[in-house]
Amino acid sequence: MSATLAKGINSFKEVIDTPIASYFSSCVHCGLCAEACLFYNETGDAKYTPIHKLEPLRRVWKQEYTLLGKLGKMLGLSDPVTDAELTEWEPLVYDSCTMCGRCSMVCPVGNDITYMIRKMREGMSASGHAPEDMIGATARAVNIGSPMGIKWPAVQAQIKHVQAETGIEVPVDKQGADYLVLMSSMEIINFPEYLSALSRIFKQAGVSWTLAADAFEATNSGIQIGASDLAREIVSRIVVAAERLKVKCVISPECGHAFTAIRWEGPNLMGRPFGFEVKHILEVLDGLHAAGKLKTRGKDKRPLTYHDPCQIARRGGVVAQPRRLLNEVAEDFREMPDAGVMNWCCGGGGGVSANSRAEPLRLEVFKTKKRQIEATGVHTLITACANCRIVMEEGLEHYQMKVEVLGLTELLAEYLVEGE
Amino acid sequence: MKKTQKAEVIPGSVGEGLAQRGVTRREFLKYCSSLAALLALPPSMASAMAEAISKARRQSVIWLSFQECTGCTESITRSHSPTLENLIFDLISLDYHHTLQAASGEAAEQARMQAMKDNDGKYLVIVDGSIPLGNPGYSCIAGISNHDMLVETAKGAAAIVAVGTCAAFGGLPMADPNPTGAVSVGDIIKDKPIINVPGCPPIPVVMTGVLAHFLTFGGLPEMDALGRPKSFYGDTIHDRCYRRPFYDQGKFAQSFDDEAARNGWCLFKLGCKGPVTYNACATTKWNDGTSFPIQSGHGCIGCSEPDFWDAGSFYKALSMPVSATSSMLAGAAAVGAAAGVAITWHNRSTKAAAKAAHEKVTVQDLTREVK
Repeated sequence: MSATLAKGINSFKEVIDTPIASYFSSCVHCGLCAEACLFYNETGDAKYTPIHKLEPLRRVWKQEYTLLGKLGKMLGLSDPVTDAELTEWEPLVYDSCTMCGRCSMVCPVGNDITYMIRKMREGMSASGHAPEDMIGATARAVNIGSPMGIKWPAVQAQIKHVQAETGIEVPVDKQGADYLVLMSSMEIINFPEYLSALSRIFKQAGVSWTLAADAFEATNSGIQIGASDLAREIVSRIVVAAERLKVKCVISPECGHAFTAIRWEGPNLMGRPFGFEVKHILEVLDGLHAAGKLKTRGKDKRPLTYHDPCQIARRGGVVAQPRRLLNEVAEDFREMPDAGVMNWCCGGGGGVSANSRAEPLRLEVFKTKKRQIEATGVHTLITACANCRIVMEEGLEHYQMKVEVLGLTELLAEYLVEGE
Repeated sequence: MKKTQKAEVIPGSVGEGLAQRGVTRREFLKYCSSLAALLALPPSMASAMAEAISKARRQSVIWLSFQECTGCTESITRSHSPTLENLIFDLISLDYHHTLQAASGEAAEQARMQAMKDNDGKYLVIVDGSIPLGNPGYSCIAGISNHDMLVETAKGAAAIVAVGTCAAFGGLPMADPNPTGAVSVGDIIKDKPIINVPGCPPIPVVMTGVLAHFLTFGGLPEMDALGRPKSFYGDTIHDRCYRRPFYDQGKFAQSFDDEAARNGWCLFKLGCKGPVTYNACATTKWNDGTSFPIQSGHGCIGCSEPDFWDAGSFYKALSMPVSATSSMLAGAAAVGAAAGVAITWHNRSTKAAAKAAHEKVTVQDLTREVK
């Protein structure tokens, strides 16, 4: 068993559905998606035009699903998609697309280009044209349980650390808890503050929650690489654990694509509705705040701004919640230009941050984010996605900018009213 | 002021009837002046009209109602009291009108026969409603089909006035697909003068004005190519519309509830048919000069024009195409549906084959074999 071109082409044929057929046939070649794209916008290179990244998929659609295309194929008038072509397209589909969804927002005929890139990656991975690093990450996610190779003992070590620091017990595998808390590998390795902050907020709010030893990882490399069979396997771990523990709600952590994977793609991958709700942590915190259960005291004096993670704001609809929360704890909150649903990507979404080959390009396009931050004049940047956070930290360091990046949950915990 | 000067009263004349009812000569002259103005006659004609009308014998009129909604009768009778139009009933002898007359059955038909006999060659026939040429049973009175009654009554008439769009042009009953085979009066009667007074319904004063003209001059007014009196149907609604300046400035309402509509801008884009409709609504107006549709905020629907019902949506601007014919649409839809089914079936089989060929992807399947 291995990846072949035939499998890839077959996969293209398989993923072309009614939306994709109507998107391709309604594209008016206006080129508006180019200017919406972070990669085109920063480099000016026309090959980064979003709809162009789909060219091989478009040709398969034309040749297999349209009358003229079929005729052309029969008469040898159109070229078949080849391995060489897919090799050429691999960096376009993976390295220069973070699936941020900005192009889908501006398309005047309503084409969801991001959705098509996601589908095209199915054929790219099946034909062996996925980046090596992403294949490695996916293998670790499937075989070990986490794209970064983290196992449960590493989480246990962090739990111990958090319990010692806060004096609060972190519940594990607690039957009938209201919430199942997930984490991303990035938080386990780089940002232990998240679990600590969450424990304190939930203790204060009286929330019943738990972790699950067999489903702590929220990220889903199968979604990023574009292999639904694997994505299903990864997401099913969470679904099985949530249903076993009979929780009412699963909380997606401060991670962008994890929210997309569980909240939006999850039920489609499983082919059935979930017996529980899925919420992003910001939605949960905003709900607690609205119910008066999340009380804070004092405000952060530092001028700060907020970076909207693409999958949470643009693709996920969580836009107002972080602002309501920030206004509780920030004295000088400044919006960056294009904030909200049209915010610019950090440059590392959609698996790009896991792809070392893409690093030079990723740092190049970070200039957009750099300009946005500079326009606000702040030195403190808040966000709600651990991947955005690490990508931005690397970018800020590369450009030698003195800006500190914090997660919103941990900022809230700093001003939490405790023990009253 | 002393007593009103009495005109010479001729027994059996209109003047005698008016005097009996206490209508003064001054009132009658005022009425004739306004009629003269309406008919676009010089002011000096007013006294001549008064003279002619008061000396005339009351004109015998037979009113025939066929495939109609009685809206035209409503229009002519629902004028204000005391009205100019009411006076008209003192000028004519309405010998037959099956909606208004008290008599019924044999007696009613007898009245019609009597009037036809007494005034042979001189009576006026007013028709409202279209005539079905399909099954005669679609519409008949006292067992007589509309067609037969019209032909029989028209024989001895001096002239025929086709009142309302149904009688004048076929109107609503003739609208596609015309289930009763409705036709206008002019389609059947070829040997008598016919005056068309279309509208759905016509303006009351237009109907009475035409009658007054006939009484005064004993003949037909000047008419346009569609047999309509030019004094009322000479200009389009658009040419006489008080909103015309907005049209000329390109100021249009885009919806019935936008700022432009509230400002009283032109309703052309909302489907107003004023530019192609000849009628007097914009000048004489309705309900004693109160208003007319455009003044009330709705575009003209073109009710005094032939086939207005089939001229496309009332709310589609005149500059937009009406539509393909229904048979063309049905044909195109059938061809499209068949092609769609064939293509869909083929595409589905392509996709189903791809699905069947799908091998479950494992981690090993993400890498190509090194050759």
